[in-house]
Amino acid sequence: MAAQDFNFLLATDSYKITHYKQYPPNVSKIYSYFECRRKKDSQFSEVVFFGLQYLLKKYLTGPVITEEKIQEAKLFYQMHFKQAVFDEEGWRKVLEKHDGRLPIRIKAVPEGRIIPRGNVLFTVENTDPNFYWLTNYIETMLVQMWYPITVATISREFKKILAKHLKATSGSLEGLDLKLHDFGYRGVSSQESAALGGAAHLVNFCSTDTVAGLLMAQRYYACPMAGFSIPAAEHSTIISWGRNREKEAFERVLDQFSSGPVSVVSDSYDIFNACKHIWGDKLKEQVMERSQDSCLVIRPDSGDPTETLIEVIKILEECFGCSLNSVGYKVLPSYLRIIQGDGIDLTSVDEILQKLSDEGWSAENMFFGCGSALLQKLNRDTLSCAFKCSYVETNGKGMDVYKQPVTDPSKGSKRGRLSLRRNSDGFLETIERGAGKPEEDLLVTVFENGSLVQDYSLEEIRKNARLQDEELNPILHNHEQELLHNHIFNGIH
Amino acid sequence: MRLTVDIASSVPLIHRGKDRSVRLRIYYIVLLSCVLSRQVTHYKQYPPNTSKVYSYFECREKRTDPTKSRKVKYDKTVFYGLQYILHKYLKGKVVTPEKIQEAKEVYREHFQDDVFNEKGWTYILEKYNGHLPIEIKAVPEGSVIPRGNVLFTVESTDPECYWLTNWVETILVQIWYPITVATNSREQKKILAKYLLETSGNLEGLEYKLHDFGYRGVSSQETAGIGASAHLVNFKGTDTVAGIGVIKKYYGTKDPVPGFSVPAAEHSTITAWGKDHEKDAFEHIIKQFPSVPVSIVSDSYDIYNACEKIWGEDLRGLIETRSADAPLVVRPDSGNPLDTVLKVLEILGKKFPTEENSKGFKVLPPYIRVIQGDGVDINTLQEIVEGMKQHKWSIENIAFGSGGALLQKLTRDLLNCSFKCSYVVTNGLGVNVFKDPVADPNKRSKKGRLSLHRTQSGDFVTLEEGKGDLEEYGVDLLHTVFQNGKIVKTYTFDEVRDNAKLKESELEELLH
Repeated sequence: MAAQDFNFLLATDSYKITHYKQYPPNVSKIYSYFECRRKKDSQFSEVVFFGLQYLLKKYLTGPVITEEKIQEAKLFYQMHFKQAVFDEEGWRKVLEKHDGRLPIRIKAVPEGRIIPRGNVLFTVENTDPNFYWLTNYIETMLVQMWYPITVATISREFKKILAKHLKATSGSLEGLDLKLHDFGYRGVSSQESAALGGAAHLVNFCSTDTVAGLLMAQRYYACPMAGFSIPAAEHSTIISWGRNREKEAFERVLDQFSSGPVSVVSDSYDIFNACKHIWGDKLKEQVMERSQDSCLVIRPDSGDPTETLIEVIKILEECFGCSLNSVGYKVLPSYLRIIQGDGIDLTSVDEILQKLSDEGWSAENMFFGCGSALLQKLNRDTLSCAFKCSYVETNGKGMDVYKQPVTDPSKGSKRGRLSLRRNSDGFLETIERGAGKPEEDLLVTVFENGSLVQDYSLEEIRKNARLQDEELNPILHNHEQELLHNHIFNGIH
Repeated sequence: MRLTVDIASSVPLIHRGKDRSVRLRIYYIVLLSCVLSRQVTHYKQYPPNTSKVYSYFECREKRTDPTKSRKVKYDKTVFYGLQYILHKYLKGKVVTPEKIQEAKEVYREHFQDDVFNEKGWTYILEKYNGHLPIEIKAVPEGSVIPRGNVLFTVESTDPECYWLTNWVETILVQIWYPITVATNSREQKKILAKYLLETSGNLEGLEYKLHDFGYRGVSSQETAGIGASAHLVNFKGTDTVAGIGVIKKYYGTKDPVPGFSVPAAEHSTITAWGKDHEKDAFEHIIKQFPSVPVSIVSDSYDIYNACEKIWGEDLRGLIETRSADAPLVVRPDSGNPLDTVLKVLEILGKKFPTEENSKGFKVLPPYIRVIQGDGVDINTLQEIVEGMKQHKWSIENIAFGSGGALLQKLTRDLLNCSFKCSYVVTNGLGVNVFKDPVADPNKRSKKGRLSLHRTQSGDFVTLEEGKGDLEEYGVDLLHTVFQNGKIVKTYTFDEVRDNAKLKESELEELLH
């Protein structure tokens, strides 16, 4: 049931208040859709569909219109526009005729599915001819889907890179879903975004420090505990001991958390000194006493990530030694690992692992933490997310509509009623102009007339979003790479 | 590592009734959960007998950065948004016995271990009725302060609760967002002010020159409210309704609303008429709103044709009869922003009689204007107004809309917002603490107890190591705003706007 104190009538772009007066007379249906438009040279050719269920449950299901809300909105818009332009009567009809429930149908791709860019992801239409203006009223709210889709997509791209290196330098994918830890809580724009972004990351991984995401996954996607973490230091817990007592600070953390892994940020003053003289010397015994299940994870947090890591791992090799794994790459002793949580994005994580691999080091040694690159450094243009009207009915007649600006062909929109199907070659494609066969349509009704019709769990979503074999294969020759690119582009999922 | 969890399977539910547990779980949130997981474990990591942890927030200066030549410097930041966080998340009774139990259970699952500080939170519940024993001192909201200065400090007020200072770090650091939106919005105001002054001789309408289009392009409803309110510190035009609610609820204004909008079309209200009926759509809409400004997106098929043939010929008569208070505002929405704006102005300038203003720049007749709301960020804004000036078009002709760049395309790194511990009391002794990573001097933090002062020449200076106590620099500009669960000082939005307004000296500087 949608939040009671949230006024749905105030959750749209101001100008949409005025649109009911702008549509052609006798319009009885407005049908719109959402896609991540294709963009030439984009590094993202496919997207993870995630997050709609949150919006539906939180804001759209049940009776979202009440008389109080209508009155509040009416007063507000009078002052905001300095005139009476709000469609009070129209909203009252929704209240009277439909008990305040929205006469809208939304059909969508199942959550977690991987869909190539340029395909319809969901459609919205009014189910009662009196409320044609409602379809695009909810655009503002629904377009915010760009965010969980983009986080889940980027998170999954990280997973592909990590999988590639892990497979190549260790022969297996063990521990893959703990390799990228969400550090983004403080760097995101609000608590709600933290929850939504945090949950989107948990579609692909299960390690996080963004507690809000866990709760979101629990409340909206029926997952009791979607992610895990370990005790870890921060700078204040180290520097509060004073400059000359970094060793005591480190020791305290090891003692307090003697069973279980623990991460200790080690760059407060001099990361290299800390690794060589404190971890590698003064506290060496305590470190070596720890088991594989209670390993020390050293955390650098400044300087050039790649250079710093290479130097750190060399120092640790000198002090603690290493062994070779089954595919001939070096691994630190099992009680010792490294986590890089500063300056991580898709480019740097690939660079780091490549450099480490070149120097003979396995990706098993590394964990990564990512903050703003995962949850904040993205926007609606990252995947070109857009919501557009494609079909209307006026005077009982249907008409396919679209925009096609001469100033930017990539902004052209799809026409008519849409469906998504897998064609005879196995690729996903969108059929326009109402030409799709209903039995082939992969879009599923998820919301109708105020009720949630589908309820996906995070478990299902994770299954839908898992990496495919093709994506896990790390070594591709050029032509194979192109084939793979085309496969992904067209969607073999 | 020990955690070998199969991501595809769920950990079994540990509660009784599913509904009840789900419902309870929402409530225990925020304060107990608005932390980074690792902060849950920090109470065990501070030195023994620590009785105070004192931390501060700043937008660090970035000194050495030779690789990036940023066009915009962001030398000063607008301090805004703390009051929202205090009201919404920190004041009053923030924990109950149920919430503590729920948190304990969630963290046990999350860490697969008992690390949650149940004792510490129970102490707060019992001794303070769930109110937070911390003190926050801050600069007044709306203040414009140079980078590298302390903006607020946080300290625990009860020796048992030393760990609380950094528990609240995560939630307080999110202030980076309203600070950054307000700062970036204000920098754009300076650009607009400069060019408006140069090309028209006055600043009329400045507050409506940059309209917030960002509601759909932000990451959540909550972000929309916070971000939109931050933009309204500097401007008055917005379509992001949520911002107004935030201002009303958390700041208050003397006027009924702090932000305004006008009727406007979107593509669906044009394309729904069909490709061959763009003129009918335009005509219908313009007639619906005869006596207020109305903005009509005109690029659904061909912006130049729309300007030349439809607005410039077919419907010219309808436009010419509109008053200066109710112009038609033509909205391009695609193509290179500067090129498109210049070409649109050129076409409209041929079809409608322009005049030269007192500064020698061209102005369209008062019944027609342009709004560019696509691809506008601080850099393209600068490019467009400069381009218009070079082509002798006054900025009076144009307004801008900005969405993603205004409210979303920003990160904590833009202004290097950071929260760091600078002082602790251990075994009764105060110690100045800091970090100073060898590989990055920019990441060095301040030491000791901090205060903010004005020098003789009017500049701001942050005093470290408790030197502010010496009274040589006069009064501390940081005021206590939050104490032991109560908000003790608030600012109205009018005060915020007043503190953030462009100063005469800034305007003079811009014109040179």
